[in-house]
Order: sequence, then structure tokens, then C-alpha cells
Amino acid sequence: MFRSKALSLLKLIPLMSGQSNLAYKFIHPVIACHGHRCHRSVIYKQWYRTRPHSAGRRTISAGTKVMAQGELPGVLILDIGGTHGVLEDLAALLKKHFHLITMKEFLGNKEEMSKKIQSVFVFECRPTIDRELLESLPNLKVIGNSGVGVDHLDLKMISSFGVKVTNTPNAVADPTADIGMALMLASARRLVEGCQIAVSPDTKYFAVDWLGVEVSRATLGIIGMGSIGYKVAQRARAFNMRILYHNRNRRRKEEEEAVGAHYCAKMEDLLQQSDFVMLVVNLTPETHKLIGRKELGLMKPTATLINISRGAVIDQDALVEALRNKVIRAAALDVTYPEPLPRDHPLLNLNNVIITPHIGTATVQAIHMMAEEAIANILAVLNDQPIPSEVFPK
Amino acid sequence: MWYHKPAINEELLQSLPNLKVVASSGVGIDHLDLKLLSSYGVKVANTPFVVSIDTADMGMALLLASSRRLVEGHEMAVSPETEYFPADWLGVEVSGATLGIVGMGVIGYKVAERAKAFEMKILYHNRNQRKKEEESAVGAVYCKKIDYLLQQSDFVLLAVNLTPQTHKLIGKRELELMKPTATLINISRGLVVDQDALVEALQNKVIKAAALDVTYPEPLPRDHPLLKMKNVIITPHIGSATKKTRWVMMEEMVESIQAGLAGLPVPREVL
Repeated sequence: MFRSKALSLLKLIPLMSGQSNLAYKFIHPVIACHGHRCHRSVIYKQWYRTRPHSAGRRTISAGTKVMAQGELPGVLILDIGGTHGVLEDLAALLKKHFHLITMKEFLGNKEEMSKKIQSVFVFECRPTIDRELLESLPNLKVIGNSGVGVDHLDLKMISSFGVKVTNTPNAVADPTADIGMALMLASARRLVEGCQIAVSPDTKYFAVDWLGVEVSRATLGIIGMGSIGYKVAQRARAFNMRILYHNRNRRRKEEEEAVGAHYCAKMEDLLQQSDFVMLVVNLTPETHKLIGRKELGLMKPTATLINISRGAVIDQDALVEALRNKVIRAAALDVTYPEPLPRDHPLLNLNNVIITPHIGTATVQAIHMMAEEAIANILAVLNDQPIPSEVFPK
Repeated sequence: MWYHKPAINEELLQSLPNLKVVASSGVGIDHLDLKLLSSYGVKVANTPFVVSIDTADMGMALLLASSRRLVEGHEMAVSPETEYFPADWLGVEVSGATLGIVGMGVIGYKVAERAKAFEMKILYHNRNQRKKEEESAVGAVYCKKIDYLLQQSDFVLLAVNLTPQTHKLIGKRELELMKPTATLINISRGLVVDQDALVEALQNKVIKAAALDVTYPEPLPRDHPLLKMKNVIITPHIGSATKKTRWVMMEEMVESIQAGLAGLPVPREVL
């Protein structure tokens, strides 16, 4: 794992030249290093280091100093700012390492720009990577995705062009686990409804028979116990929750014991026993509509469904039906399909549903960490180094 | 007595010659004149510990909801006007941030236990310092002076009871000591905060946001400025509002009353 404490310092010695002849050796404290001088006037000094993040977590960053004139590798982005563009300060971060080319600039001068683009920085699923784009970028080596989900990328097709895909699993884990907990607590305690009552012009008094359900000591069933699911378990444990989990593979005994989690080989067992069911899987053909009518029917009528994975993991029509018929108590969704939902969708009007606009990683700190992790991944590919988080087609 | 009603005053006490016990739901007893009741020979009991867990949960719920702008986010997600979700819409991180707990009693300590799992740095201010083992169990650092806690915290959570000493504990001075990026969370009593000073501090961006389960009065007048602020979450005093807890509260109150009527020692008596 890239974040392991053993790799506390990775140093790279400059060797490089231009775009296509990069030869870095990365130096680990215990490994002897050697490098060779390059003949070009361009010398880069690059290093990777883990450093304490302002929020107390380790992060991976890449620093580059251009010591002489030369060209930085080109990275394609959709846009800077605007409704779907890369945030301004992220663009500034990218500019330190890359020659930034927006889609507009590329389309306005395809001949010249297409050769320069070696990488694409995909931010909030944009720009869309299709066959046409891949065919027009002969020197493309890597697509660096900001975020961990890659269900919006056709991995097989991209791979057929010899292009690598990377994601950012480390940066997303804490904030996404936090949002899972936030949604569970908000739904259980009817926080959004309560706030609406507290500020409504019609409220004259607070009704005494207005109740929510407990989180502490209730049973949480986590479906998908990867990095994010495990962090949810760590948090839920502090609330003395009974934790069940379902996963493709069982976790090691020590890992289970550390959070007091019980493995459910059959998802049905988890569904029947849980007061809160939290979905933390990635979206694949296997997890598409994982939770449908049958699964909702197995849940307790007092149970809450929380989704921090992808909208398509749930059969949304079945969910609407289940909520309307009180088959389950409530739902809290950070993700839907599509996003946003059509404005006449029934989920928008049910008062036992909380929907948030896919903000699992929407914090100032996380957005920066994701960009840094994506940059480190892209540079690793371009510099022929071990890639921290490459994603392979199945 | 449920939700501070019926109000206990001299007139009522005079008209109830055989009154022996007043059982009050919840832990707060700031609404009761203990001296007056004692002078009539009436015992008072509350339900202190049963509320602790749910109230601590509510504190965490408010902290998370405020930091991630959950209520605002929900409103955007369901609003008829929403066409897309903007990319530059951000909240702040909870994991790894600093939480300052003012009032480290049973409830405050349970908040600390929960916050620790989010890898939060925990500072606390209390009349008395807790035992070393208790501090290390949650990684909490004692702040003898509240000032230091206010200056260092990203989230300030109030978990004191309301007494003459804690009345308006958080006023203009304390709010100005807080970081401009900090959030104030109140799960104690509305009067612990100088509400007018809070409104001013929020309007002038002296602090970033507030999340309040309690206000003074409850509900607030419908034209109160706090109701309209985007960076304020208010919940209708629901710290202990869960089915199970309310049930146990009732059981405890009945038990206290029965003991009082039988002339036995009253469980959870407030002296």
C-alpha cells in the first residue's frame, strides 16, 4: 500500500530529459541509487514524499522544480472554473507539473495540441473519454481520475489504446466514511425534518411526541468492506454499534476484531439483522442493482438504507416503492442515478428520504488531496515508475 | 414533568398539600426552583444518565451535518430549481480536525469517545480535570483556561449544564477568540450562549457556522435572525428524542415517584 509507513521517503534523482525519454530511478533509503546525467539542458528534480497533512493524515505529493527551460508534459482538462471545470486552485497545482490544456484550446488547435497531451486529468467525471478522443491523442499515456470510482470510464476500451488509468483511493476514504456517518446520524435523528420544523414560519411549539431512532448500540450492516467501509466500521464502533459486514472476501481476523465486525457470508443475513444498511461497494456489473425489491423486502421495517457508493447499486424504482409502502423506515443517499435526479422524481418528495448532492469528498482538504494523488499517479506513469494506484480492466 | 411542564410555582405548590415527589424528564433542572420545592418538603428526581448517549449522538450528528453542509446540500438536491451540482460547493473536513469540548461530564465524555474514532484532536475545558486514564482513553487534552480551547478548536461543543456560572458562558469575547473558520455546537441550554452576540458573530463572519439543538426560548420567535441564516442549523431540542430512551426515561420517572410515595430513598434524587 502506498501509504505504508515503510515508504516514508521516496527520493528521485534527476535523470530526465524532454517528454519521451524519461528514466527515473526512485530511491528508497535502503536501496542504493544511481543515476545518469542527461545531455539535454533540461533537468528536472522530482521527489515524492509523504508529509503530514494539515488534517493530520499522510498524503502523497509530488514536487517539481524546473531548473532550466523546457516543456512540461501536457495534461488535458475540461475547463478551469465554470460549472464543471477544475477549481482554480487545483488548476494552479496542475500548472506546477504540467502544461495545462483545456478542451477548448485542444479543439481550437487539434494538430499542434494533440501531440502535446500525454495525460488527462478527469475531474467530476469530465471530460468524457470516448473512442474519438482517444484516437485523436496519439501520445496519451495515462488518464488520472480524481476520485476512486471509475465506473464512468470504459476501462477495456482505454486499455486497448495502451493508455493507463489511475484513481485516488487514499484521498477519498476519510471524508466518504464521514459522510456515511453523517447521513446515518441525520436520518436516524430526523435532522433535516427537525431543522425544517425549527425554522418554519408556521411552527408554534415543538411537539413532544416527535421521535427519531437510536444510532448508539444499534446494528449496522456494511455492504462492501474496502478501505472506506472499514473506516465506517472504525467510526461506528465508537458509537457501540453492533457491526455486521458483507464482502467478496472475508477480512483478516485481527482486522475484524479491531472493529468488532462480524462477517456475513450471505448478504441476506446482514439485511435481516441490521437497523442501518450502508452500501460502500464500487459499481461493477456484479453490484449493479445489488439492492432491489427482494433485498429491501428482507430488511427490517424499522431499518434505514444509506448509500455512499453509486446510485446504480440500488434499484431506484424498487426503493421508491419500498419507502412508500413502509417496507423500510427511511433512506439517506449521497448518490443517485442520474445526478441530479429529474425534478419530478418521487424520491425528492418523500419526507423520510435525505439526499445530498454527491458530496462524499466535497471538502476543501479532500479536493486538494485528490488532485495531489492524481498528479502523483500521472507523473509516475510518465516517468516510468511504480504507479501508486493503477486501475485495470477486469 | 415532561418538557418542563407543568410549570411549578408557589401557587401550585400551595394547592397540592399532599405533593411528595416531582419527577422531571431529562437531566436539566434549570427550569425548577429547587430551594422553593425543598421548602415545601417536596423531593425532586431527574433522569440523568439515560439521556447521555443519545445527546452525545446528537452532538456528533450536528457536528457532521454542519461541517458537510448537509441541510443545505439536501435542499439543493431536492430543490425544483436545481439543474446540476456545482463542482465548487465544498464543506470542511471532520477527520483530523480539532474538537474543543466545553463541559466534560458524562455527555461531554461520550462525545469525546465518538470524536476519537474520527481521528479528531480533542481539547476540553471543565471545572475539574478528569483522571489521567480517562484523558488518555480518548486522547483529550485539558485546557484550564477556556481561552486556549477557543483559539485552537475547529469545532467548539457546549455540553455544560445551565447554572448561574454558565449563563452566557459564550459571549462576544469568547466568540472573538474562536477561529473565523470555527463552528459552535450547542447541546446544553440556549442560555449558555449570548444569542445576540452569536447572531452578530455569524453575520460578521467572526465564526463560520453554528449548530444548535437548544435555543432561548424554544421555539425562537419566528422573526429571529438565526432562523434565516444559511450557516446555522437548528433542531427542535431533540437530544434525547428516541423511542428507546424516552421509554426508559418514563420507567425511571415512575420508579422515582413510587419510591418517593413509599417513603423510600428516591433514585436519581436531585439535592
